[in-house]
Amino acid sequence: MIEQPARISPSSLPENPRRTFLVRVIQGVHTTIGATLAFVLGGAALAPGLTRRERLWLSAGDLSALRDGEPRAVTLRVARQDGATEAVDRRVVFLVRSGDGGVRALDSTCTHLGCRTRVNADALQIECPCHGGVYDLEGRVVAGPPPRPLDELPTRVEGTRILVQV
Amino acid sequence: MLARFLDWCDARTGYRAALHHLLDERLPGGTGWAFTLGSVILLLLGVQFLSGFVLAMYYVPSPLLAYDSVRYVMRDLPMGSVVRGLHVWGASFLVVAAVAHMLRAFLHGAYKAPRELTWLSGLAALLVILGFALSGYLLPWDQKAYWATTVTINVARGAPLVGEWLASGLRGGPELGALTLGRWYAAHVFLLPAVLLAFAVAHLFLMRRHGISGPLRPKPGPATPFFPWHVMKDTVVMAVVFASLLTLAYFVRAPLDEMANPADASYVPRPEWYFLSLFQLLKYFPGPAEPVATQLIPGLAVGFLALLPFLDRHPERRPWARARLPYSVGMAVLAAGVAGLTGLGLRDRPEGKAANDWGLLPVAGLELATGENSVCARCHVAGGPAAPMERTSLRRDEEWLLNHMTDPVAIAPGVRTAEDRAPRSAMGRFGAQAVVAYLRRRHAGIEPPPLEPGVRLAAMTYASTCVVCHRVSGEGGTLGPDLTAVGQRRDAAEIQAIIEDASLVYGESSMPRFKDKLTGAQIEALAGYFAGRK
Ligand code: HEM
Ligand code: FES
Repeated sequence: MIEQPARISPSSLPENPRRTFLVRVIQGVHTTIGATLAFVLGGAALAPGLTRRERLWLSAGDLSALRDGEPRAVTLRVARQDGATEAVDRRVVFLVRSGDGGVRALDSTCTHLGCRTRVNADALQIECPCHGGVYDLEGRVVAGPPPRPLDELPTRVEGTRILVQV
Repeated sequence: MLARFLDWCDARTGYRAALHHLLDERLPGGTGWAFTLGSVILLLLGVQFLSGFVLAMYYVPSPLLAYDSVRYVMRDLPMGSVVRGLHVWGASFLVVAAVAHMLRAFLHGAYKAPRELTWLSGLAALLVILGFALSGYLLPWDQKAYWATTVTINVARGAPLVGEWLASGLRGGPELGALTLGRWYAAHVFLLPAVLLAFAVAHLFLMRRHGISGPLRPKPGPATPFFPWHVMKDTVVMAVVFASLLTLAYFVRAPLDEMANPADASYVPRPEWYFLSLFQLLKYFPGPAEPVATQLIPGLAVGFLALLPFLDRHPERRPWARARLPYSVGMAVLAAGVAGLTGLGLRDRPEGKAANDWGLLPVAGLELATGENSVCARCHVAGGPAAPMERTSLRRDEEWLLNHMTDPVAIAPGVRTAEDRAPRSAMGRFGAQAVVAYLRRRHAGIEPPPLEPGVRLAAMTYASTCVVCHRVSGEGGTLGPDLTAVGQRRDAAEIQAIIEDASLVYGESSMPRFKDKLTGAQIEALAGYFAGRK
C-alpha cells in the first residue's frame, strides 16, 4: 500500500491575485526563452537533415555496351557537400535495354530495408542478400519480403550516350 | 488524466513536497536584484550546454577540418551563425556574470562561516569556466586559436618543477597539432562539463543548506518565500540577459580569423578579452622576471580568493567596517588591477595585420582567381573536376598550394589532358601567393573592399612588382619600408615621384626607377591607392 501524501498545492496558501499574476508571468517568460532556444537550436540541428541533394543527370556509359535482356550494373559517382567535407556517393544502378530500344535504369537499393541487391546472371534475376528478396529483370518482386518493385530512375539517351538522373 | 498520472508519480517520488520545499524557501526581507546573478549564470550555462551540443554535431576536432567545419556552421548551416554566436558571445556573458556574482558575494561577506565551502565551490566553478573559455577558443583552429594556445603552453612550461611535464600534457605531442586539438576538445566537451556540474551542484546544495547571506541590513518583517517573489526578479533579469545575448548573436557575427598558419610571422597573437589582463601583465615582466607575471601574481590572486574565508573570520559583514577593511582593499586592488590591465591591453593595439584589412595582395589574388582571364575557373566550377573556389579548403600546406597554382596540371591528377604534355605555368610565384592570401581572407568570411578600377590596377601592379620589397598589411617583402600606412606620411604626388624615380627624392636609393617600366596609369593608380592608406 502506497501512502498517499496530503496534496499540498499553492492553493493551500491564501489566494492572492498578485501572486497568481506573477506565477503566470514567470511561466510565460521561461516558456518564451525555452521556445526561442528550441527554434534556433532545433533548426540548426535538424535543417541539414531535411535538405535534399539536387537531381543531376549523369552519364552511365554507351548504349552499345548493353545487350538485350542482360542487365548491366554501373556505378555512378555523385559528388556532394557533406558538412565540412565533400563526399562522393557511389550509386549502383542496373541498366536494362527495353524492347522498344529505350533503356531503363533500376536503382539497386532493395525496397525492403535498403540492402544492396545484385544481378544473378545465371538465374536471370536480381537478388537481395539480406532477407531473400528476389526481383525479375524488370524489377518486379518475385519472392521474399520486398513490398514493391525496385525504384526506377529517369533515363535519357543522347546519341549513343545513356544519361541517368539521380 | 494528467492529474492522475502526476498523483501516481507523486505517490512514488514525493516530488511535490520536494518542489515545495525548493520553492517555498524563505528569503530574508529585502533580498534584492543583486541576488539574481546566480540564476543568470544557470541560464547562461544552459545556453552554453545546448548551443555547444549543436556545435559539436558539426565540429570536427582535427586540424584538417576544424576550421572548415566552423566555416560550414557560419556559412551553410541554417541558423548556424546564430548558434555559434550564442556560444561565443555566451562565453563572454558567462565570464562577466560569474565575476559579478563573485564580487557581489564578496561585498556581502557571503564567504564567512558557515559558507566557506560555498565560496570555494563557486571559485572552483569560476576557474572551470575560464578553463572552458581557454580550451574553447583553440577549437576553431584559426590564427588566434593557434597562437594563443602556443603562448598558453609556453607559459605552462615556465611553471616550477612540473613545467615541462605540464606543457607536454597540454600539447599531447612533440608539436602543436592534431594531438593537441583532440585532447583540448575532449576536455572542453567531456571533462569540463562534468567537473563544472559537480561544482555547481555542490554550490547550490550548500547555498540551500545554509540559506543565502541576504542583505546587510535585512528589512524587518516576515521572510518572503523564494517563489514567486524572488523568482520574479530572477526571471526579469534572465529575460533581459537572454534577449541581449540573442540580439548580439543574431546581429554580430562571431569572429573567425584566418586559418591557423604556423609559418605566418606577421600575425600578432592576442588572447580573448578575458585573458587580456594576464597577457598585458607579461609585457611588464620581460626575461627572467617573467614568472612574476605568469605564476606569482596570478597565484597570489587565486590564493587570496581561496584563503579569504579563513583569513577574514570576524563575523562583521559590512565591507567598509574596520574589521573587513584590509580584505576590501585587497579585493579592490585585485579588481582594479584586472580592470586596468584589461583596459591597457585593449588600448595597446599591436602593429600588424588588421583583421578586416584586405591589403593589396589579396585583391590581386581575387582578380587572378576569379577575374575574367582566370585559369582556375577551367577546373574550379560547379560540376567541374575541382570544387568551386568558395568551396575549396586550405588543407594543404602553403608549398603545395603555391606549386599547384603555378602549375595546376602537374599536381592535380586527372586534370592533365592529352594536349598538356609539358607543365603549363598558370601564374608566377607572387601571383600564387596573392591567390593564397585571397583565399585566406575569403575563407575567414571577410568581405572584399569595393574594387574601383584604380584599386584593381594598383593591386595587379603591386603583386607583380612592388610586393618583392614592400609589405602591406602583413604581406610582401621587407627590403623596403612597410607601406600599410604610408598615406599618413606622404601624399599622392610625393608617392608618384618616388615610384617614378626614387633617387631624385632620396638621393641614393636601392629602389629601382619605374618611370619607363610601368605605364603612367599604373603609377597613378599606385600613388592614388597608397595615398589613401592611412
Ligand atoms: C558545456 C558544454 C559545452 C560544449 C558541449 C561545448 C562545445 C563547443 C564546441 C564544439 C566548440 C567548437 C565550435 C566553435 O568553435 O564554433 C566550442 C567552442 C567554444 N566554447 Fe564551448 N562548449 C561547452 C561549454 C562552454 C562553456 C561553459 C564556455 C564558457 C566559458 C565555452 C566557451 C567556448 C568558446 C570561447 C569557444 C570558441 C568559440 C569560437 O571562437 O569559435 N564553452 N564549444
Ligand atoms: S533488405 Fe532486401 S530483402 Fe530485406
